[in-house]
Amino acid sequence: ASPPGKPVIVKCRSPEKETFTCWWKPGSNGGLPTNYTLTYYKEGENIIYECPDYTTGGPNSCFFSRKYTTIWTIYVMRVNATNKMGNTASDVRFVDVTYIVEPNAPQNVTLEIKKSQDREAYLWIKWLAPTLVDTRSGWLILQYEIRLKPEKATEWETHYAGHQTNFKILNLSPGQKYFVQVRCKPDHGFWSQWSQEKSIKIPGDANMNV
Amino acid sequence: PFCPNGASCRVSLRELFDRAIIVSHYIHSLSSEMFQEFDAQYSQGPGFFTQAISMCHTASISTPAGKEQAQQIHQKDFVILVIHLLRSWTEPLNHLITETSRLPKDPHALRAKAVEIQQQNQRLLEGLDKIGKLVDPEITDNGDYAVWLGLPALQSNDVESLLFAFHNMFRCLRRDTHKVDNYLKFLKCQIAYDGSC
Repeated sequence: ASPPGKPVIVKCRSPEKETFTCWWKPGSNGGLPTNYTLTYYKEGENIIYECPDYTTGGPNSCFFSRKYTTIWTIYVMRVNATNKMGNTASDVRFVDVTYIVEPNAPQNVTLEIKKSQDREAYLWIKWLAPTLVDTRSGWLILQYEIRLKPEKATEWETHYAGHQTNFKILNLSPGQKYFVQVRCKPDHGFWSQWSQEKSIKIPGDANMNV
Repeated sequence: PFCPNGASCRVSLRELFDRAIIVSHYIHSLSSEMFQEFDAQYSQGPGFFTQAISMCHTASISTPAGKEQAQQIHQKDFVILVIHLLRSWTEPLNHLITETSRLPKDPHALRAKAVEIQQQNQRLLEGLDKIGKLVDPEITDNGDYAVWLGLPALQSNDVESLLFAFHNMFRCLRRDTHKVDNYLKFLKCQIAYDGSC
């Protein structure tokens, strides 16, 4: 038996600039039951707080709900591992929610073949903002990107959609099956994961040439 | 200029907000790049600058730190608050530009960005003045702003103290330009789109 190994805070992320979660990677447990606590203080304060919620974010995580989240403020945090033989603290991590915004992927991606007035067919893609994100108040502004590729291709073709949640793609090959994904990014922040892959087959008789 | 045709500028509030947001987004992007460039050029190892973190001179301006707080502020007061934040950087930016010459290595790129930010800040202030008048014609702005006392630190002869002073200024500028950009995007939806963009 030995004191626990050193835990490492590996990632902190806010999906909508209103809450955030941090995750850590435990070190060795020294062969003994080991308990982990996350403590922090905020810029300009001396009070040491403990993690308000160890559950919502899953194992080895701390979730800060709106009540505990302050933007434009540095959180100075550390994870402490404790067992019967002693305790070991992680390195300090400085976190400002402003700069860790990474939304969830867009949802409800739907694909449709439509015809324009002059009978040309095109692929119509539409989606919704990720769950839990309030894009109506203007607190979080999302921009979107689409990628698609023919079934057998390896290279994706990417299109930037700006702030809109629908997109029209012309010039696709009749009879060909296509895969489509969408992702999003806040005005200042990180790209989300790509949405689940959706596919559609262009009808053989579709007149896609413009 | 925000209204190229001179004083009698008949531009809608939405259009003014859109123009202001283009500038505020650009200013924050420049500030972020400046902060990262400084960090990359002058940091002396991981965590070197964490010792440099100290209170921003604009901390005296009470600002909403979340959406719910932002929704509590009266729109007219919120516009004035943004103007105060911006105006609080007029003097520091002037000195930042001058004092970059003290930095070791070649601070030319940093200085050029600081000059660009200063010019865009003035442009944004001009636009916010117009926005304020459209939001509330009787808006009274008492010319308030947060006083900056950081010049001696920017003129330090000790290199480490000098680097810490510059780092904290770039950090605070990045933070405050993010606040301004965030608040303007929020205010646009609240004021020009009745709370629902």
